[in-house]
Order: sequence, then C-alpha cells, then structure tokens
Amino acid sequence: MSVAGRAAVSRGILLRLREQLEFTKKGQELLKMKRDHLASETNKLLSKVAMRGKLDGRLMQAYEHLKAAYLNLGYSGLASQAVTVDRMQVRVRPRSIMGVIVPEVIIEKEPSIRSVSSSSAYHAASELSGLMNELIELAEAEFRIESIAYELMMTNRKVNALERVLIPGFIELIRYVEGRLEEESLEEFFRGKRVKQVIRRAKT
Amino acid sequence: MRSPSVIYLITRTHGRRTHLLTSENLKAISKSRSLPEVVDQLLRSDYASEIGKLPTEEVDSVRLEKIFHRTLVERFLQPVKDTKGKAGEFLEAYAARIEVENLKRILRAKHSQEKIEEENLIPLGREHTILNFPALVKVENVEEAVALLRETAYAAISGRLDDYRRVGLPVVLESYLDDVYFTRLWETLKDLPDSNGLRWLVGEEVDLHNLQLVLSLKMRDLGSRLIEEIIIPVFYRLSKSTLRDLIQSGLDGAPEALAGTSYDDVAEQLLKSKEPSIDLEITLSRRLYQDASFALNQLFLELGYVVAYMLLCEREARDLVTIATALDLGISEEALQRRLLL
Repeated sequence: MSVAGRAAVSRGILLRLREQLEFTKKGQELLKMKRDHLASETNKLLSKVAMRGKLDGRLMQAYEHLKAAYLNLGYSGLASQAVTVDRMQVRVRPRSIMGVIVPEVIIEKEPSIRSVSSSSAYHAASELSGLMNELIELAEAEFRIESIAYELMMTNRKVNALERVLIPGFIELIRYVEGRLEEESLEEFFRGKRVKQVIRRAKT
Repeated sequence: MRSPSVIYLITRTHGRRTHLLTSENLKAISKSRSLPEVVDQLLRSDYASEIGKLPTEEVDSVRLEKIFHRTLVERFLQPVKDTKGKAGEFLEAYAARIEVENLKRILRAKHSQEKIEEENLIPLGREHTILNFPALVKVENVEEAVALLRETAYAAISGRLDDYRRVGLPVVLESYLDDVYFTRLWETLKDLPDSNGLRWLVGEEVDLHNLQLVLSLKMRDLGSRLIEEIIIPVFYRLSKSTLRDLIQSGLDGAPEALAGTSYDDVAEQLLKSKEPSIDLEITLSRRLYQDASFALNQLFLELGYVVAYMLLCEREARDLVTIATALDLGISEEALQRRLLL
C-alpha cells in the first residue's frame, strides 16, 4: 500500500511532511558521515590485522622454543622456572567510536622474566613475553573490527532504507499532497468562475 | 687399601649397573609412537613395579615423570645406605643434589610468593633428608624459608639475603645452594683414598656448572660483577682467571677464553649452534654424562665407578622425562633425538 493512499491532505500536513523530509535527509547525511568514519576506522585497523600472519609465524617459533625448554627441563622443572615470572597486569576499559563500544586494553605492568634462571626457559619466556604486547594489540584490533563491521552493516542498512524507501516515500507523498492541493485550488477557482457566470446570467 | 664396605659397594654397583637401560633400549623407547608404548617397553625394567600400577587411561607424561624421579631417588639412595665411614659421607653429600633441587624449586616459588605443593618437588622421603620440606612449602616468603634452614648445612644462606634483595633474582640463592653442595662435596672428597677419579668427575661437574652459569647469565646481559660474585669457588680445570676472562668476553669470545682448557670444544659447539641459549644446557649436560660413561669403563674398581653410575641414573631419568614430554607435546622423532643426552 503506497504512503499516498493513506494520507490526509492539507497545507499543514504538507508543511509537516516537508519538515520531516528535511529532518530525514539530515539524518541520512549524519549516517553517511558515521559510515565513512567507521569505514576509515576499519581501514586503519586492517593494517594491524594484517600482521596476524607474521605474528602467527613468530608465535609458532616461540612455541617451538617453549617445547625445547620443556624437553630440557621436563614439566615440573619448567613449571618451577615459570613460577618466578612476574605476571602481566592489564586493565580493560570501554571506548566509544561513533557510538560503538569497543574495549581498550591498557598494559599496567609488563611481565618480568628476569628471575628465570634456566637459559632455555629464559629464551622461551623472553620470546613469548615479547609477543604479548603485539598479541594484545591484535586481539584488540580484531575485536574492534568485529564490532565496527557489525555497526557498519547496520548503518548501511539504515542509510539504504532512508535513501531507497523513506525519502522517496516522503517525496512521493509531498508530490501527491501538492498535486491534491493544486487540484483543490483549481476546483475552487473553477467553482468561483461558474458561480460568477450563473449570477451574471441571472441578472441579464 | 680400600675398606671392605667400599669393595662391597663397588661390587653391588657393578650388579646395579646391569639394571640401567642401555643406549639401544633408550633409542628404541624414543622411537615409541605413544606413551602406552613407552610403558610397555619399560615393563621389563626397574620401572616396572611402579609403572605396572598405573592404569592405562591414567598414563601421562606428568605421572611418568614422577615415577622416573622416584626411581632415580631410590637408585641414588641405595649406594648411600650400603656405605659407611668417609665414603658414606661423600655419597650422602653427593645424593644431596636432590634436596638442593627441591630447595631451589621452593625458593623460586617463594620469590614470586606463589604457592607450591609437595607434589611439585622430586619425591624424597623424610628419612633421607634433614630438611623439613612440608614446612618449607608452607612458608610465605623467601625470608621465612631461609629462617627454616637455620640448623641445616645451608644455614649460611641467610648471609646472601642482602645480595638477593639488592639484585632481586633467585639465581643468587640458587647459586649459593650449589656453592654449599659442591664445596661440601669437594671437602669430603679430600679425605678419601684413591680419589683422583672422583676428583675428575666432581671437578668437571663444577667446571661445567660454572660454565653454564657464566654463559647463561652473559647471554642475558647481567653484570660481570654479579656473575663473578655467584660462581662456585671450586676451580678444577677452569681457573678463576679463565672464568673471569669468560665473564668479560661472553659466548663470542668463549673459544679464546677457553683455549687450552678441555672445554674449548664445548665453546665451539655452542658457537655453531643456531640457538645457543637453548642448546647450552644440553651441550654441557651431554659432556658431563659422556665423562660419566667414560668413567664407568675406566674406574671400575674405584668409588668413582659409583658416582659415574649415579650420574648415568640421572641421565636415564632425564632422557625418559624428555621422551615422555616429547610424546605428550607431539614432537617429531628427529627433534627428540637432538634433545636426548645419549
């Protein structure tokens, strides 16, 4: 059922429709701006996510060194070395990017591996702890991309709905109301002329 | 002239040696595809009584490691029980390496104020040590642990507490424990007749221990002064000045610093390695156990034979732990062979 089929016609409604159209167009502009901003944010994050391949490689290598340390010391020996590592402390706080809530990880204390006494355990620990910051950065970027991509999809749907359904609907409705109002004014004009003509004939 | 108890001990050790897994046995075990296969192969060895009690579904590398350690402790303590007098004192001092390792584990945990359970230690019965391990694992920090060592051979460790607090590294205390262990060993050795073979085995072990300490700490860029302070003050073939040169030069200058000593090949091997920090422990341990194998063939009528046997028991346990861990971690056979001490 078209929007026009249900509309009441009056000058007040036409004014209100024009205001609504203006408001919807502004909303559409804002959503487009949000979409562009989110897209540029995603582009920025993509470069960070691209390092995943390299990071995977380095992580595998670090795991190989960890395995070597396990072989050298056994489970209990390595566990005894690992217990000396000062734990890493992180704080996660929410951050808003154009209304999208994403986590921001703040490293409050780096892990300290100074106390590890075995050389193979120290080597594995230094490789792994060196990767921790990058892993956190990557996890943060991946989560952000996921949230932003979802929001981008929703914003796109909204922009499309405004652009293809709501705004054309308003335009059609305004055109219909304008047409109806013009017809009504023409009818009024014609009726006035006819009345004048009838009165003139009656006088003659 | 050797005492009858020493002759008895050496004779018993010749018998016990036959219980050790041969290189071929270990190679065959290392080719196993799963832990149950390892268990099957060990059912014909000294491990059978313990391993046989383990249900197949409960076989994992952690449980096997405990069994290997328990058997190692038993094997270490048998010669101690069989001997009296000076030789007995020496072997008792030698077997104390197990309690030293346990003490190190406790101090590491207390350094980080982490909990440690008795099951994280190498199982050593109360009757074989004067250290109160159940109490030591329960203390809150290093200071309390050191206080509990007051009436033991490690009492003087409290003198190192200031250094430990200044540097903030447990390696200061660990090296002190090694210092006490090797110094005691070196001292008891002096009273024994025909101790040349023993001096060689223990002396090489101290030298290799110092080499490992210096090189591993140099690789981590720790200060030369600190390293010099914590090396074990027992010098056999590595003089103090050689070690000082090595401390200054690090791994890159090691061949030059160790030139003319019997360890120059070790430095060269490490320099050729792609990952010297990982290979350091294996290379030095391999050298020690090669010495033990050599001693087993050369010192067959001396007390050195017993020490060589004990070292080979240790090697066997370490290799079995390595094999079980490798199977658990899915490590390739080729990579495993590189890590074995055979």
